[in-house]
Amino acid sequence: MNSKVPLKLTVNGETFDIEVEPRWLLSDVLRHQLGLVGTHVGCEQGACGACTVLIDGKPERSCLTFAIQVEGQQITTVEGLTRGEHLTPLQESFSAHHALQCGYCTPGMLLTATALLEQEPHPTEQRVREAISGNVCRCTGYQFIVDAILAVAGDTKEDVR
Amino acid sequence: MTEQAMRPQFMGARVKRVEDPRLLTGQARYLDDIDLPGMLEIAFVRSPYPSARITGMELNAVKSAAGVRAVLTFEDCPILLWQRDSYQVGQPVLAHNEVRYVGEPVVAVVAEDRYQAEDAAELAVVHYEPLQPVLDMVQAIEELPRRVHSHASNVFYHKEYTTQGFSDAFAQAPRHLAATFRTTRQTAVTLEPRGTAAMPDPASGRMTVYASTQSPHRIRGDLAELLGWPENQVRVIVPEVGGGFGMKANTYPEDVVVVWAARHLGKPVKWVSDRTESLLTDVHARDDIHEVEVAYQDDGRIIAIRDHLMADGGAYPAYPFSGAVGETSLASRVLTGPYQIPYIETVIDCTYSNKTPLGAYRGVWGPIASFVQEGIVDRVARSLSLDPAEVRRINMIRPDQFPFRNAAGMIYDAGSYGESMEEALRLINYKDFRVRQSALRAQGRYRGIGISVFVEPTAMASSEAGSVGYESVFIRVEPTGKVTAAMGLGPTGQGHETTMAQLIADQVGVNLEDVVILHGDTDSAPFGGGTGGSRSGPIGGGAALVAGREMRQRLVKLAAHLLEAAEEDIELGHGQAWVAGVPDRAMTIRQLAEIAYTHVKRIPPGMPIGLELVARYQPEQSVSFSNGTHIAEVEVDPLTGLVQVVNYVVVNDCGRLINPLIVEGQIHGGVAQGIGSAFLESLRYGDDGQLMTTSLSDYLLPEATDVPRITIEHLVTPSAGEGGIKGMGEGSLIGAPAALVGAVSDALAPFHVMVDRLPVTPDDVIEWVTARV
Repeated sequence: MNSKVPLKLTVNGETFDIEVEPRWLLSDVLRHQLGLVGTHVGCEQGACGACTVLIDGKPERSCLTFAIQVEGQQITTVEGLTRGEHLTPLQESFSAHHALQCGYCTPGMLLTATALLEQEPHPTEQRVREAISGNVCRCTGYQFIVDAILAVAGDTKEDVR
Repeated sequence: MTEQAMRPQFMGARVKRVEDPRLLTGQARYLDDIDLPGMLEIAFVRSPYPSARITGMELNAVKSAAGVRAVLTFEDCPILLWQRDSYQVGQPVLAHNEVRYVGEPVVAVVAEDRYQAEDAAELAVVHYEPLQPVLDMVQAIEELPRRVHSHASNVFYHKEYTTQGFSDAFAQAPRHLAATFRTTRQTAVTLEPRGTAAMPDPASGRMTVYASTQSPHRIRGDLAELLGWPENQVRVIVPEVGGGFGMKANTYPEDVVVVWAARHLGKPVKWVSDRTESLLTDVHARDDIHEVEVAYQDDGRIIAIRDHLMADGGAYPAYPFSGAVGETSLASRVLTGPYQIPYIETVIDCTYSNKTPLGAYRGVWGPIASFVQEGIVDRVARSLSLDPAEVRRINMIRPDQFPFRNAAGMIYDAGSYGESMEEALRLINYKDFRVRQSALRAQGRYRGIGISVFVEPTAMASSEAGSVGYESVFIRVEPTGKVTAAMGLGPTGQGHETTMAQLIADQVGVNLEDVVILHGDTDSAPFGGGTGGSRSGPIGGGAALVAGREMRQRLVKLAAHLLEAAEEDIELGHGQAWVAGVPDRAMTIRQLAEIAYTHVKRIPPGMPIGLELVARYQPEQSVSFSNGTHIAEVEVDPLTGLVQVVNYVVVNDCGRLINPLIVEGQIHGGVAQGIGSAFLESLRYGDDGQLMTTSLSDYLLPEATDVPRITIEHLVTPSAGEGGIKGMGEGSLIGAPAALVGAVSDALAPFHVMVDRLPVTPDDVIEWVTARV
C-alpha cells in the first residue's frame, strides 16, 4: 500500500515527474510534494470546497482525488491563475470589492468562479450563488464575493456598487 | 504645542486591503504551509468514549510502526492546564486514568509524516471501562447522575445578582409571563483548522512556536508557564490565520504536547487538526438555558426580569477562560439590551459534563442574550396584541439618558438605539409590511419580520483574547522615511495591516503604501492583548493613533528646527513637511529621517536620536457600547419546514469608521453566521454522549444560496475614546439570530408559535405547525 509509483503530473502548464504513494491525495501532493500551498485543505471530506482546483478546466475537490487519478490531465491551481506580476481581472475585482477576509477559501473560490465565467461569461446573481454554493466562506457572508464575480462578468442588471 | 486639525485622508476611506495580493495569488503562508527540514508530525489517539476509566494501553505496535519517532502519554508529558486553583480541575494535556469527552487526546504519536502518524495511531489499543456519562446540565446541577470530577462539584461557577427593590417591583407588576430559552451547541468552524508547530532553535536554545492563534503574547505566556520555561525562551510566530472567531483564543492541550515534543525530541514538530478533530475538540459554544420570568405592564413596559442562566461548560474549563462563564456572566449583565428595564434578578450555574469544553465563539454571550431579550419583548407584545416595534419604542433607552446605568450596573455610553430601529424599520418598509403579510397569509404563505436591537459592549478591559485593557504600538520611521509599526494584535482576517496603516499614515503624514504593520511575532511586537472581544479597532486603533501622533510630534519638532519655523507652523502630509503658507520651505520625511539617524548633529538639543518609540493606549472608559438594529424578513414553508431569508437590513453604529468596506464585510459575515446559528448549525450529542455531527456534511454551514443580499446603513455615535472608534467584530452575530428567529415567530403567529430555541430546524417548524393546526 505504501510503495511509491511514478507519476507524470501536469500542473499550471508544467509537467512534473514524481513518485507518489497511490493513496496520496492530490491536495497533499500539490501542497507537500510540489510546494503549491495555495491549495488549502479545509475538511478532507469534500464539503467545504477550499481545496478546489481545476482539472481539465472543471472545478474538482483535490482532497477527494488521488494524485494518480489525474495523470495526463491539466491541473490548474491558484498559482497558475496569474501571469507574471499582475493580478487577473477577477483577482483585482476580489480586492476592489473586499471579497476576502482570512483568505483561506479564496483560492478555491477564485478557481470555481474562473470556471464559471469561462463557461458562462454573463451569469445572473442567482447563477453565481449556485455556482459557488459548494465553496464555503466563513468570513464574508458571500455578498462581496458575488459582487466581485458579477463586476467581472459585466452584468449590468446587478448592483455591484 | 497646538494640535493640528487633522484632515484624515485614509481614516474613513474605503481603501483596498494591503493583505489581498498575497492571499489572492496563493502566496500567503498558513500554519500547515510551514515545512521545516526534518519536521515530524503528530497524530492523536482520541477517546471514543464520553466517560470511561482507562484500564490499560498496548502501544508496542505503535512504537515499532514505520516512521514513528515517539509515542507519548500523560506519563511522558504530565502537564495540567489550569494548574491554578480557579476551578479545582485542570485538563491533563493527555488523558490521565480517565477520559471525560469524546475526542479527548489520549496518546500522541510522533512520526515522520502525517500519513505514518495516522497509520501508527490506528494500531494503538487502549482499554476502557465505560462510565455513565453526564449529559444534562439541569440534572448535573443536582450532581446527577454523578460527578464528572469525583473531587469537585458539577457546578463550577455560581453567581447571584439582584437589583435592589426587585421583589416588590416584580410582585406588584400587573402582568407576568414565563419562558425557557435554549441554545444548542455550535462552534466557530474556522475554515483553516487549528494547528501548532514548534522548532527548537539550536543556536539560541530558544523555542520558536508557530501558532494559529488570536493571542500571540497570551499563548507565549501560557506555554512558558505550563512548561516551566522562562518566557523569553519562547518566541511565538503567528502565520496567516484562516479565521478565529474566538475559537483560536484558547491554549489547547495539543499546543502544549507539540511544544513539549519538539523540546524533548530536539526536532521541529507539527500538528494540524483535521475537520473531524476540529468538530470534536475545538471549543464548543452556546450550550445555554435561560429560565425567564418577566413582569410587565398593560402598556408593554417591562418592569423586571428574573433569569436562571445555565451553561454546560463541558468536561473541563477551557484554558485560560471558560466559555460557560463568559456566556452567562456577561449575558446576565447586558440581558436588558437597549431597554430601560429597571429590575433584574439573575442566578448563574455553570456545570461540568462529559462533552467538549465550552469556549468562545464570536459574540460569546451576545447572540444568546439578544435572543432572550428580543424573545421577551416579542412575547410581551404578542400577549398584549401590541405592535412589536411599538413595545420596543416604549422600553427603549432614550438619548437623554446616556450615560445609562442598566439594571445590572453596566454603564452604557451614548448610542443611537431608537434611531437605529426607526431607520431599519424605514429601510425594510415596515409601514406596509403588515398589509403584505396578511395578503400573503390569505394565499397560504407565511412571511414574518423579526426586529433585533442589539448592544455590543466592546473594548473591555478583559476579553477572551486576554486580560489586557490597553494596546501597544512600536513605531519606527525608517532612515528612508518608510514607516514600520509592530503590534501585539492577532488578526485572523480582519485586515489590521490595512486599518492600522490607515490610522498611522494620516498621523505621520505619509502615504498608505509607505506603512508596514507587523503583527504576530512576540519578538518584534510589544506586549499586547491579541484580537478578541471587539478590542482591536478601539484599543489597537487607539494605540495606532497615539503612536502616530507622538511620531508626528517628533517629526514636527525636527522639521521646525531644520526649517527655522515655529512648530505650530509646520504641516505634514504626502511624505512632506512644510511651513504653512510657504510650500517652498519644505523637506521630505525621508530627508528628515536621514538626518534623525545619520546627521545627528543637526537634531535639535534634547531630541532623541532616531525616530522610534513605543506608545500605549488604555481607554478611560472600561467599555464602549456599539449598537444597531437588524431586521429580517423570512418566509416559512409550513410543509417542508424550510425558512428562506428574503430581506435583511442592518443599521449599524460603531462610532467612527476606519474603513467602511471592512466594517461592511464584518457585518455581512456575522449575518451569515447568524443564519447558520438560527437555522443550520447544531452540534448534536446522542444519548450515549457521542457527538453525531463530526463532518461538514452533518454540521451545516451557510452557503452562498442561503444568505440574502444585506442592506447596510451606518450611523455614527463616536466613543469618547481615541478616534471615536468603537469595536464591531461581534455585533452582527449578536444581532442576527434574534432577528431571524423572531421573524419565524412572527411568520408562524397564526400557529401561535413563539420560537424558544436556537437553531430552529425544519423538524421543529413541522412539529409546531402540525401540533397547532
